[in-house]
Amino acid sequence: MKPRLVKSQREMEGRFEDVWVLVDEDDEVESWPEDAELDVVGKPATRLDGPVRTSGAAHYTVDVALPGMLHALILRAHVARARLTGLDVEAARATPGVRAVLGPGDATAMGGDPVLTDEPGWAGAPIAAVAADTPDAAAAGLAALAPAYETLAPLEVDGGLEEQRFTEEPRETVRGDPDAGLAAADARIELTCETPAHVQSPLEPHAAVARWDGDSLTAWVSTQGMFDARRELARRFGLLTEQVRVISEFIGGGFGAKQGAGVEALLAAELARATGRPVRLALGRHEEQVVGGRRAWTRQTVTLGARSDGTLTGIELAAVVAMGAGGWIFPVAEPALSIYACPNVRTMVFPVRTSLRAQNAFRAPGVVEGVTVLEQAIDELAGALGMDPLELRRANHVDRDQGSGLPYSSKRLLACYDRASELAGWAARDALREPQADGLLRGMGCASQIWWGGGGPPAHATVRLDSEARALVTTGIQDIGTGTLTSARIVAAEELGLPLAHVVARGGDTAPNLYGPVAGGSMTTPAVMPAVRSAAGKVRRILLSLAADVLEIAAADLTISDGRIRSRDGALDVDVVEVTGKLGNATIDGTGARGPNPDGFRVNTFGCQIAQVAVDPGTGVVAVERVVAVHDVGRIVNPLAASSQAEGGVIQGIGYALSEELVVDPTTGMPVNGHLDDYKVPTIADMPEILVDFPNVADPNLPNLGAKGLGEPPIVPTAAAIANAFAHATGRRAAALPLTPARVLEVLA
Amino acid sequence: MTTYVRPASLEEALELLAGDGAAPLGGGTDLAGQVDRGISAPATLVDLRDAGLATVEPDGDGVRIGAAATLAELAESAVIEPYAAVGAAASLAASPLLRNVGTVGGNICQHTRCWYYRGQEWHCWLGGGETCYAQIGDHRKHGLEPGDCISAHPSDLAPALAACGATVEVRSTTGARELALLDLYRRPTADDRSLLVLEPGELVAAVRLPTPPDASAYQRLGERAAFSFPLVSVAAARHGDETTLVAAGVANVPRKLDPSDPLAGLPGNPQSTWKRRALVTLVERALAAVSSES
Repeated sequence: MKPRLVKSQREMEGRFEDVWVLVDEDDEVESWPEDAELDVVGKPATRLDGPVRTSGAAHYTVDVALPGMLHALILRAHVARARLTGLDVEAARATPGVRAVLGPGDATAMGGDPVLTDEPGWAGAPIAAVAADTPDAAAAGLAALAPAYETLAPLEVDGGLEEQRFTEEPRETVRGDPDAGLAAADARIELTCETPAHVQSPLEPHAAVARWDGDSLTAWVSTQGMFDARRELARRFGLLTEQVRVISEFIGGGFGAKQGAGVEALLAAELARATGRPVRLALGRHEEQVVGGRRAWTRQTVTLGARSDGTLTGIELAAVVAMGAGGWIFPVAEPALSIYACPNVRTMVFPVRTSLRAQNAFRAPGVVEGVTVLEQAIDELAGALGMDPLELRRANHVDRDQGSGLPYSSKRLLACYDRASELAGWAARDALREPQADGLLRGMGCASQIWWGGGGPPAHATVRLDSEARALVTTGIQDIGTGTLTSARIVAAEELGLPLAHVVARGGDTAPNLYGPVAGGSMTTPAVMPAVRSAAGKVRRILLSLAADVLEIAAADLTISDGRIRSRDGALDVDVVEVTGKLGNATIDGTGARGPNPDGFRVNTFGCQIAQVAVDPGTGVVAVERVVAVHDVGRIVNPLAASSQAEGGVIQGIGYALSEELVVDPTTGMPVNGHLDDYKVPTIADMPEILVDFPNVADPNLPNLGAKGLGEPPIVPTAAAIANAFAHATGRRAAALPLTPARVLEVLA
Repeated sequence: MTTYVRPASLEEALELLAGDGAAPLGGGTDLAGQVDRGISAPATLVDLRDAGLATVEPDGDGVRIGAAATLAELAESAVIEPYAAVGAAASLAASPLLRNVGTVGGNICQHTRCWYYRGQEWHCWLGGGETCYAQIGDHRKHGLEPGDCISAHPSDLAPALAACGATVEVRSTTGARELALLDLYRRPTADDRSLLVLEPGELVAAVRLPTPPDASAYQRLGERAAFSFPLVSVAAARHGDETTLVAAGVANVPRKLDPSDPLAGLPGNPQSTWKRRALVTLVERALAAVSSES
């Protein structure tokens, strides 16, 4: 064992940064050979936490109830932009049951930025917070604050370009000579389309419960990043890392919206410190829909030029992004820069400041928006060229990342096109446009998917095997509902040669101090599972060495699988407990760390979806009848969880395409549909048949497992495929999504 | 502070409803939302489930539907079969869970879904304020009829019942009166913003359907395949050569349409003219469904 610190590159949703990584040479486990027969990996497994989640027994952060716990509420302005001219903090403090009131300036985030403001600049900005014995008393305290405002006009996206009202400098990326490329084209199309503000709408809202024990803080946080939450809380309150424990055992969805401690944990901890009592702060549904976050609204214009054989000669993208109050500019230009081979590309992204909260991550942020418009433009180009849309995509296939010039570590997009085409019956798609007995207009459309999802260090795990041959895997995973803890069990069981039922995996708690990355960027599987396999590999080697002692056979002559130790010559076949039973109260422990990604490659995921829709031209109703989703994410660890992920992505993509849209009132700047009755998430009755498949071939260049992430890829192409199917069915293209009856009737008029 | 009471008879319920701030409670699926958003603040919730109002039964040549019958009970009731529009409306409203608790009385008396009226950030004209924010804001889902308020009527049942000629039995401690269902509704005025003609203490106790029509049908357009209020809906009922059309989603109230000119009086606003096209389609389909020629 020889630990070293090496410099490596870490990628998160397209952002690359150099990090120091602790590498242990023992961690360099060889990948399974492509023809290896695996017992557990690649076999469908139900998740261990399924019964508790479905029966309601699981305790989410919103369910935490501690003795003496106070209930906190946040005061938010009823207009998006205002100056506070009055706030009766004393009246709130005097309200029966109220234990603490924080006003503007009373609470800060870790960097010292104020959390509460007297100049709210976006819809729902927090102004004050109240903690009280009961929720009703907190509401009475909130009412007693009686805020008065000088109201300011909200900032709309219209006018943002003219006023140069940007959250940061617009970004231009140029490759080659796009003007010359477009000028040389035989065919050229331009398409402008708006994409909607899309709200994550997790079932469990943002929530935190904080409890101080002396100088130590325990925080239950509904977050995708419990280690980020720990760091933020430690910095904010001047604590050592070990003085802060963050627990995120069950998370009711995040989809990108729940990063770090959040305002909720910061305020809960502040109020708990002020009162000496545990404090619970959970957003209400209306708050969640207004301030929880969203995928930003965009207006994108794509210009494409191609030679008559379909070869792209130039791509230009101009994207206006309604950022809200700020936030990171998500990679909306990435699809134009990378999906297809094209030497001449110009992308411009204009981040306009508006009066909603800063945009935040939502499942494949930026790339969903970019693909949704670019892939419609590709179909328009296919129409202009008289080419089959899938053929045009194949004709522009590329096997390297054109920005860096590096080859992809693996890419099976062409196989995805073939398989999706076969499953969808693509060859017969034009028959759908024949007059239909039910009077509906039918069509089929496709779209390509690109995303990252290679993961990387750091990620750590331990495996502990006891005398009864039961293994405990401990990780830094926060399982936001995707089943990643089950994947950790699968990988450990495979490596240990134990039945899956003999392995449990834990996460959701920073106390073991085993780091795992944020559950985002499709990185949990590719980052954590290699660390799990590595830890299990060490336990396996120790176990075999002990077996050699007990059975008096050289370790190299022994194998373990399905809980049995066998000699290679077949003479010996014993239960693994024959060996572990000798341990008594001792255990076999192994630690594992994720090694760096290989130099000289870009790691991405790819895929293709094909949608079939039926449009009622009389009412404007678009029904999705089938979606085929084929994604190349390397090796599939758990096919059941993988198909669930793909279905979930498609479902969310259907909402984005057909019904979900945050609507903002122009007078006040407040969303008018920040409630689930008016913000239409799809229901099961809206769901089509969803056919999912994967090439399921390990990426030979990824360490130890060859598995990439799947959280984000399946949502990327869904809306584009549906929009293309709509255009195929109707011959028209909507200038904006979602395709609500109102828009469809206007387009078809 | 809200008091909850569960009277054991209609008479007892009417006594309680005569008190200040009393509100009838059926399934609570609309009332709970109103309380949550500060639209209503009842002092007393009078739970009607034991008040004997939950029956759906033959009534001469027609049917009497107790106000506390749930939408699911109505949809499953055999006596409603001759009124196809009513059965369809009852089974297409809301979602299975809501239909299991939401009541007929609550459904026809529910408040509009206008997002400005429902939103706590606005104090709109209908809610007693001065401005119809929908007319200066986003009215893509609002009504087509001009007025001080352009909110749209949201009930699926009301147009279906009205097309079939329904009346309502209104009760209070001082007596009973029977009105045509359409007369239960009113367009709000500057000095009275209410959308129902009910006086304080009055309760819709039952809906009566007369002799069944020769044919009836209900057509609706929602925002998704289930669990959506109707954006526009049309009920048609034909007696011999005469067809009655009633629409929801186009005016403050369930509104009769002239079969020969269904768009009359419904010009719409810039963002809602699409509803005119949807309305024409639904009228055509409803008329076709009740046509004697099919």
